[in-house]
Amino acid sequence: MALKRRESNLPTRFAIPMAPMIDVTFLLLMFFMCNLRVSTSEADFRQNLPVGGPKPVLNDDVVLPEIKVGLKSDRDGRLISITIGSKDLGNDDAAFDQLSDEVLTVVRRLGNPLRKDVEVEIDADFETEYRHVMKAVSKCTGRLDPQTKQVARYIEKIKFAPPHKPKE
Amino acid sequence: MKTPKVSTSTFEPDMTPIIDVVFQLVAFFMIALSFENTEADERVRLPKDMIARPPEVRPEYELILNVGYRRTATGRKLDTNPYVFHNNATVDVRDLGPILVQERRNFESTNRSEVRTTDRVTVIIRADDDLPTGVVQEVVRHCQQVGFSRFSLRAADVAE
Repeated sequence: MALKRRESNLPTRFAIPMAPMIDVTFLLLMFFMCNLRVSTSEADFRQNLPVGGPKPVLNDDVVLPEIKVGLKSDRDGRLISITIGSKDLGNDDAAFDQLSDEVLTVVRRLGNPLRKDVEVEIDADFETEYRHVMKAVSKCTGRLDPQTKQVARYIEKIKFAPPHKPKE
Repeated sequence: MKTPKVSTSTFEPDMTPIIDVVFQLVAFFMIALSFENTEADERVRLPKDMIARPPEVRPEYELILNVGYRRTATGRKLDTNPYVFHNNATVDVRDLGPILVQERRNFESTNRSEVRTTDRVTVIIRADDDLPTGVVQEVVRHCQQVGFSRFSLRAADVAE
């Protein structure tokens, strides 16, 4: 008996409706494009101590030097001078570099075990632009090796002196 | 006379390559989009620094305070008064206390640990590089009065 081939009712080719999917995809694309913010990455300077807070009690036998960094400015916030202790370093980029050298000298003198206990106090005028203070914090914290791009940190504790009153 | 046969089939452009490209773009923007920094306010121009590094361990609780000036789209200052931009509100630095108290309550309501809430919160200060330092110290003082004791000063990470 000859078998009769049955005609299939199914269409030979499926056409999946792509239009809704493309619509949604374009909407997603628009959403992500609109929400994209080109921004630089951010990083923190951690402060271990409350600003202007009490000093921690250390072993009586160990007398750590106080590193006091002063930032003096005029009424408009322009930097007049950077001081470390009683030494005036100036107010330009070289002064900040010298500040870094001075701090490193003190830290080297103390040696490794005490290094982490050394504290830098930053005493800035009320008007001093915040960028100068942050630069000073950065210079006291460590330095970047230009070849390896690695950060060598030598100070972990930074604190602010109690705030000054604004200049009249 | 025979009439020429007119093709009735519709013209369908091949959409596959364009869909491929669009998916690639979607994937790119999904990866590039960061939701982490949603509390950062674009009006604040952070001081730039090369030493600051992103924290290795993220704080348990963090309170981000944006301190800066109201600026136009071009970056020009609208006035010389500094403000704290917090949760879509622009607050005078002197009026920060009640907001911090509310934030402390919010943290306390989620704290299930025995450790004091304010000891678990790190206040991240994103301050404009033009600000007088005294203003930043005033913000810190307000935070201390409410009980917060951990602070972190944020800078823009720039490579030389």
